[in-house]
Amino acid sequence: MNQDPRQFPKAAREALNDPLLRPALNRMKMNFAARRAYGVQAYGDFETLRQAGRDIREYAVTHLDTLLETFEASVLAKGGKVHWASDAEEARQTILSILREAGAKTVTKGKSMVTEEIALNPFLEANGIVPVETDLGEYIVQLRHEPPSHLIAPAFHLTKEQVAETFREVHTEFDPNRSLVERNTLVQEARAVLRAKFEAADAGITGGNFITAAEGAAIIVTNEGNGDLTRLLPKTHIVVTGIEKIVRDMNDAAVLLRLLPRSATGQAISTYVSIMAGPVGERDEQRSFHVVLVDNGRSKLLGTEAQDVLRCIRCSACINHCPVYGAIGGHAYGATYMGPLGAALNPGMIGVAETGHHANASTFCGRCAEVCPVMIPLPKIMRYWRAVEHAEGLAPKSITFGLSLWAFAAKHPLLYRFGASLLARLLKLMSRGGAVHSLPLMKGWFAVRDFPAPQGKTFHEQWQTHR
Amino acid sequence: MSREHILSAIRARKLIEAPTPGAYTAPKTEGDLAEAFAKKLSAQQTDVRMLDSMRDVPDAIADILRGRNMAAEIRIAPDSELAGLDLPNVEVRREPPGQFDAAVTFASFAIAETGTLAYASGKGSPASWHFRPLLEIAIVRAGTVVGELEDVLAALKSRGGIPSTLNLVSGPSRTGDIEQTMELGAHGPKSLAVLVLKS
Repeated sequence: MNQDPRQFPKAAREALNDPLLRPALNRMKMNFAARRAYGVQAYGDFETLRQAGRDIREYAVTHLDTLLETFEASVLAKGGKVHWASDAEEARQTILSILREAGAKTVTKGKSMVTEEIALNPFLEANGIVPVETDLGEYIVQLRHEPPSHLIAPAFHLTKEQVAETFREVHTEFDPNRSLVERNTLVQEARAVLRAKFEAADAGITGGNFITAAEGAAIIVTNEGNGDLTRLLPKTHIVVTGIEKIVRDMNDAAVLLRLLPRSATGQAISTYVSIMAGPVGERDEQRSFHVVLVDNGRSKLLGTEAQDVLRCIRCSACINHCPVYGAIGGHAYGATYMGPLGAALNPGMIGVAETGHHANASTFCGRCAEVCPVMIPLPKIMRYWRAVEHAEGLAPKSITFGLSLWAFAAKHPLLYRFGASLLARLLKLMSRGGAVHSLPLMKGWFAVRDFPAPQGKTFHEQWQTHR
Repeated sequence: MSREHILSAIRARKLIEAPTPGAYTAPKTEGDLAEAFAKKLSAQQTDVRMLDSMRDVPDAIADILRGRNMAAEIRIAPDSELAGLDLPNVEVRREPPGQFDAAVTFASFAIAETGTLAYASGKGSPASWHFRPLLEIAIVRAGTVVGELEDVLAALKSRGGIPSTLNLVSGPSRTGDIEQTMELGAHGPKSLAVLVLKS
């Protein structure tokens, strides 16, 4: 499992040769794209909805300070507490101290990419607190000591046989000879095991798909209901979320709640949408509600050419439509955020030196931007990170050398024309059956493709003749 | 302090502030809202039944339990709307349901646009009841079916704001996490039945 984004090219090559990953990726691509297409078409005027969603998120991103202050006041008024964390370390320490104060030993968790981002689970374990992931996919990858390979389908890369094998290994309380052939049997087994964990947990940690300033509410969407049991059964509920998840109010959230599920799974609405404002009162007796707002590199994207990525609502549409992700899956990236989202976000949050490869791994086909529900110009942001990489001298030597060679020629027209006509003729000589099959120093490139042979004259020469 | 640190980091950036977004109007649901709600939710693996009044509820519940081969035993949420519900031949209990139980709940509103039950949590409506049982039987009045989520928000605003938890439920619990194939009953109810009361 690649945990280092610097190893992305190597991990990507390995992923391309993974025989189990291929059928999973093919199914993923078909599934999500078809579902989204259906959801969008069924809605009717999706473009107007998209524009409204974009405007709501753009307003939020450019008014973060005032909205977050209002949010804090609203949460306080409802009996909750807001904590601010500048970076991952501070977020972990903040969460630990809340848990210590609550005397928590075991913690159930709803799905949260931010807690992946801050590597919360290993930290809690090192501090004697047991974190239990409860989203089925997250639970499976946690048992297998793997990171999620997709934002909303964390275990899509596994077969049901692999899941059965893991359950048999870990769930030793059941008959070792039980049948685990059916998917639903696996689901019911996880339900029973995790229900006991919910009942026993001292605290629950969830993410927040959105937080609303006016009401001080955190909103989560799930299809399983695990996020709700995480909030409702233990005494303490902690929401961990990024500072950019804020919107003005519930009416803004209502618009985004139409965009998010359609873009993600094609659903008109997720099975459970839960709007959580303050501690649970009534008979589900809860006593404390905390929101941890995590910056961790987000605020420094403001005012840069990458700012638009802060509008992201983590639907995964860009990932689901990306030919690069579709070929290598999520683990190869070696970072929490993968695909076009990762390529736009990671260089800013983690660093260009570490994750520049993510932005380079794009054909700029533009499908990500076409399907983005909040109109983030993802290829433009990737191009920006490529420019930063080049300006800071971080681009791989082989690429900069090749490009500077080309740039020199392009700036000297005589040399360019002479070189081009020489090359065109040379390539034609070397071709067989209309294609060049190999060239020195380019073994890797030719290993999987041929280059069409030039037909004799260069563009400039033909232009001279036909103008 | 991190609060000041983050806020001043944000303020230090000179941003072009986006204009206040205009209100979005969702496409309106046409025709009878209760019918539209029932149709949408039925498409989400939910057993939706239109009943004339609360008097028809006991028979419907008995039928639902029988149809699922479940014991004649049920938990009823402490909602005042359900206080008078008398179920002959069914053992009624009032404590929170366990993972293999059937439970009756009362929804404050329903939303036609998406086929959604809306539960405002409160003394009579503990939020966990929508996630604990194996079968949830929700009762909702046709008169409280609204067009969109925005209508629920407006109604709650006039009652003093959103409660500590507002649950929107649009079908039984499900997961697609194993081989991207939908399976019901992940954590919440495996089965959802809804009784819409015309009066």
